[in-house]
Amino acid sequence: MGEFEVHRVRFFGLVPAGVRCLACHPRGTRLALARTDGAVEVYNFAANYFQEKVIPGHEARSVESLCWAAGDRLFGAGLGGDITEYDLAGLSAARGLDGGGGPIWSMVANSTGTQLAIGCEDGSVKIFQVVPGGIQFERNLDRRKGRVLCLSWHPSDTHIVAGSIDFFRVIDVTSGQTVQRVMVNHHVEKARRECVVWAIALLSSGTVVSADSFGRVQFWDWEQGTLAESHTVSTSAVLSLAVSQKEDSMIVGTSTGATYHLQLLPVRLGGLEKRWVRTKPFQFHSHDVRAVAHSPTALISGGLDAQLVIRPLMEKVQKKGYDAVLRKFTFPHRRLVSCARKARLLLFQFSQYLELWRLGSTEETGKDGEVLPLCRMPEHLVQLKSKGPEHIYCSCVSPCGTWLGYSTASRFQLYRVRCDGDGVSLRKV
Amino acid sequence: MVSPGALRVVRCGGGAQRGARAVYLLYASGDFVKVHSVNTEETLRLLCGHADLVTDIQLNPHNHMQLYSSSLDGTIKLWDFMDGIPIKTFTVGSKLLALYALAGAEDSVFVVIPKKGERDTFQLVSVKLTKGAGQDLEGKELSVVLDGVGASPKQIAFGREDSYVVSVKDVNLQVYFFKRKLLNRFSLSAAKTKGGDNRFSCVVCHPTEDCIATGHADGKIRLWRNFHHKKAYTYSALHWHHDIVMDLAYSLEGTRLLSGGVESVLVQWHNESSCQKDFLPRLGSPIDCISMSSDGVLCCTLHTDNRISIINSNLRFSRSIQGLIKSRDVKTGLVVDPRTKALVLNGEPGHLQFYSLQSDQQLFSLDIVQRQYIHQAGLKQSDLVKVAFSARGTWLATVEESEEVADPELQLKLWFYSEETQSFALNTRINTPHDNHITDMCFRDMDELGDDSLILVTTGRDCVFKVWVMVEDSDPEAHQSVSWSCDFVGSYHNYQATNCCFSEDGSLLAVSFEETVTVWDSLTWDLKCTFCHPPGNIRNICFGRLTCSKYLIGATDYGFLCCWNLLTCALEWSAHLNVVVLQPDPLSEHIAAVSWLSKESSLFVFKPSEPWPVYIQRNLCKEKILLAAFVPRDEPEMISSEKYLWLRKSQLFFLTDTQELMTLSTKSLEERLTPSSKQLAVEESLPVTPFSVLLGKHRRQQAQEDTDLGKPVVHSKQEQASPAVKELLHTPAHVLPSASFLCTIFINSLLISKENKSAEEVADEVEMESEKADDESDEEDVTAMEEEDTSHVELLGEMTSKLSKSQEKELRKIRKMDYSWISAF
Repeated sequence: MGEFEVHRVRFFGLVPAGVRCLACHPRGTRLALARTDGAVEVYNFAANYFQEKVIPGHEARSVESLCWAAGDRLFGAGLGGDITEYDLAGLSAARGLDGGGGPIWSMVANSTGTQLAIGCEDGSVKIFQVVPGGIQFERNLDRRKGRVLCLSWHPSDTHIVAGSIDFFRVIDVTSGQTVQRVMVNHHVEKARRECVVWAIALLSSGTVVSADSFGRVQFWDWEQGTLAESHTVSTSAVLSLAVSQKEDSMIVGTSTGATYHLQLLPVRLGGLEKRWVRTKPFQFHSHDVRAVAHSPTALISGGLDAQLVIRPLMEKVQKKGYDAVLRKFTFPHRRLVSCARKARLLLFQFSQYLELWRLGSTEETGKDGEVLPLCRMPEHLVQLKSKGPEHIYCSCVSPCGTWLGYSTASRFQLYRVRCDGDGVSLRKV
Repeated sequence: MVSPGALRVVRCGGGAQRGARAVYLLYASGDFVKVHSVNTEETLRLLCGHADLVTDIQLNPHNHMQLYSSSLDGTIKLWDFMDGIPIKTFTVGSKLLALYALAGAEDSVFVVIPKKGERDTFQLVSVKLTKGAGQDLEGKELSVVLDGVGASPKQIAFGREDSYVVSVKDVNLQVYFFKRKLLNRFSLSAAKTKGGDNRFSCVVCHPTEDCIATGHADGKIRLWRNFHHKKAYTYSALHWHHDIVMDLAYSLEGTRLLSGGVESVLVQWHNESSCQKDFLPRLGSPIDCISMSSDGVLCCTLHTDNRISIINSNLRFSRSIQGLIKSRDVKTGLVVDPRTKALVLNGEPGHLQFYSLQSDQQLFSLDIVQRQYIHQAGLKQSDLVKVAFSARGTWLATVEESEEVADPELQLKLWFYSEETQSFALNTRINTPHDNHITDMCFRDMDELGDDSLILVTTGRDCVFKVWVMVEDSDPEAHQSVSWSCDFVGSYHNYQATNCCFSEDGSLLAVSFEETVTVWDSLTWDLKCTFCHPPGNIRNICFGRLTCSKYLIGATDYGFLCCWNLLTCALEWSAHLNVVVLQPDPLSEHIAAVSWLSKESSLFVFKPSEPWPVYIQRNLCKEKILLAAFVPRDEPEMISSEKYLWLRKSQLFFLTDTQELMTLSTKSLEERLTPSSKQLAVEESLPVTPFSVLLGKHRRQQAQEDTDLGKPVVHSKQEQASPAVKELLHTPAHVLPSASFLCTIFINSLLISKENKSAEEVADEVEMESEKADDESDEEDVTAMEEEDTSHVELLGEMTSKLSKSQEKELRKIRKMDYSWISAF
């Protein structure tokens, strides 16, 4: 083995963006993830959870909700008010369509993937038809006051449940009428505070599961509008909820960073009566868990601490192997650092700018593990801001350190770096 | 001959269901099972018959008036606890550590026994209870259900409808399904990560659902579900306790879960939710065991200090049953309170308990340290180490010190008994009376000289003994007239003072300094003489009494018992005996010495004048006896055998290192229950029908009147606490005649009639006149008593006529109702 100098690079101040939403592909092979900076990532579960695709963000485009529809098409909607289809081959936002209801808080696809429902700031729920080559506005459902924060289709596609502040309502899709409106802040002493329904799910049995800011997960009968069960899982808000396809297990994420697993278990062994029971708590995250997903074999959660955690359900995993391991995606899986070996330069890529650093150097040698004193401190040479609203896709520096290039979705820029003494100058090519 | 006193409550079973209320609380205590009435707070019955520790008790699920009990002597007994009769005895053979009786299995019970050939391995077996005619039956048909179970009864539980059994041990949980013959094992990780400790401590099953609740060493409670799947089992956790969960209990419907631990807080969890919980704090001491009554109205918690708290279903503390409180360490020794004849020793931390031997109850607890006790390991607490009473019990001296070895914070407190408040009040507090630990303390016992002669002597490891006397307070603003201060400091060659003792007449003080015993004149504080028996330090010293008061007895830790004659200043005799406890009887010449040799304690009783013992009891018990005390009897007992004559005036009590209180008695086991409580039990057990109520009322009124008639006679003899008044107070209110009716009798009984007074005066005069001739005065006394009796009968003659009138009225009323009701049938 040769002798190496190891640099401790503590000057790459990357702030990763938190996970905003997750969308599990209906067949369970892919997972789409949107970050708070608007970037969309696609993970392929079949290929060892490899980060397959990254679509960098855009200044004007935030993503509040993602969904897979019509096979492998990925749609996103955000507070900008647009519904965007992503071109997964070209890694770009392909087509956009204005939702027409102000900022969009949520979007869900029906079970067949032919229709999209969006919940808007103005309280409306709109249905869009997924057509080849884009989407088409179909109809407006009953509009009530109060922003629609979350939506869920009934598995038979006949009803939609929409969660708002203090209440949720069940809408008949064919007639477009609200058939049930349930206040969720009853029987709470602190009723003066508004109760935000952050996440909702409509099960095939007709049970509505709501998760609210009082830390409760509640089970309602949607026809009668009665509360069947209430689980206070946390003292802080429950922000997200995902139900497995078999509807026997669900995961909720809270604002303390804890996620909880709820299971539908028989009250008596072998009996038919079943009840939802909060079973295991997990504390993987340090901040709010804004997004959770439930794949057939794993609980997936993403938090504002930018971590993606995939926790396999041991009882569902058949054999001990690569799938049965808890995985945490803490580091970005992209190349954000490039190195000019000869010039001892490092190029760091941030979402909107680049930083060029010169490594420190030493003249001494030492044994393994010794810290050598630096004769020259690492030096920040230049910060290069990209123009326009688009985020940087990729960047590179040449080994000699004289050429520097980056690209966005639409442009490619090349710069020549000239170091003369202490000063550094950049010239656009 | 040796009968262990009430201590070490093992496990309490629930109450028997009668009507809609739990009436009885049953608990195992040592070799006995006690039946306790919840309503009257009295021990109704003592079920005795086991030859060793009773490990577990269970109500017979098929008959709630019957009780199964298991013991280390290898037998299962079936009792009728209402009458206290053993119905059946099943001999199993090996030690039984836990017992479970199921509703589903009529002819078998489950017991935990040690596995043959392996140490510390236990197995759960089912015992077939053969149906036979006789009382003593064999229970030898054993079939093993589970192997490798825990020895504690808390570590096994039976599930809903007895379809499965759960056992926990260390980090493993096993579930065995009876019907499917399926055994599932689950284990948690044994690693102690992040302060977690996954070891199981206890287990209970939900009564109606398939849910298992387990308590853990780190304070977590896990609720297991779906445990018939090897893989898809799941559990959730509840966490409030900061240390080990000692026991769990489900409510009758399973909606509430109770848990308790060292925090001495009872936690109630609702609907298995970690957010909804209620607390019952400040229960005094760590909770060891929780038990629900079979109707779910009451629950009781058993505490590590040997106390049972009864708690309502709405989590309100109802009452407590406490015998001898088990303290961490009895440092004070066994002291007898001269006033109440109660045994005084360490109780709750920082408290002094007064334990009545007659009623097996704590009389009261005196807070000496007066500081909040915090349950936390490693915290240095102050505790009571020495206690002494003056001869008549008017003064109490206590010494408390903190646990720090190097620099103990010492406090000597003197308490005066106030007749008005009937309690001890702090008179003087002396900070740092000695510079090092106080080793011994005694009052000068002089009954006849009164309080002026009262002297307190303390000896310390700082090589001095100090004499404390009362001084009149000159300060007019002071609240009290006297206070205590140091009068004399004595030392001997800079040796540590270890023991001190006054002679019976108070003229001499013996203080032992390591190897030497010094004798001091208590008037001038001159050193009179010294005794020594090298090698070995003096462990105990005491003076002889009565005819033997010229002798001084000392025991050394080299195993010698020496007797010195104070007149000749020479060694009278010595014996080779490893004496642990040396205890003189205050009422006779006898001295009891307890030796500890080759893992057994032996008792020797001797008179100092004779070098051979009066009585020897070898192998008194297996445990080490740490303390002993002679408690004077109220009345001298008639003892026929010459051998036991030394027990005539006082009774000897021992405390072992496992804090078991033992006594010697010449009789076989006698019931301590008073007749009144027995009668109560019978009354309660009667089925209540309208007819019996009417009849019973009538009968009881008559009986009541009889006792009422007898009462004043007894009452004039004994001022307070006469059995008749007790009877009156103990009779349930609903069977008593009306208050207005009782009032005159009661008031009359309190009055002292004129004739009575004169008779007493006469008796006094007679006594004064004939002081020398004892026999004569005795005779006079007898006649005087007879006079008293007759006078009372006369006085009561009027009352009987009164009673019968009012009684007739009531009878008429009853008759009217009675006939109309019967005619309906």
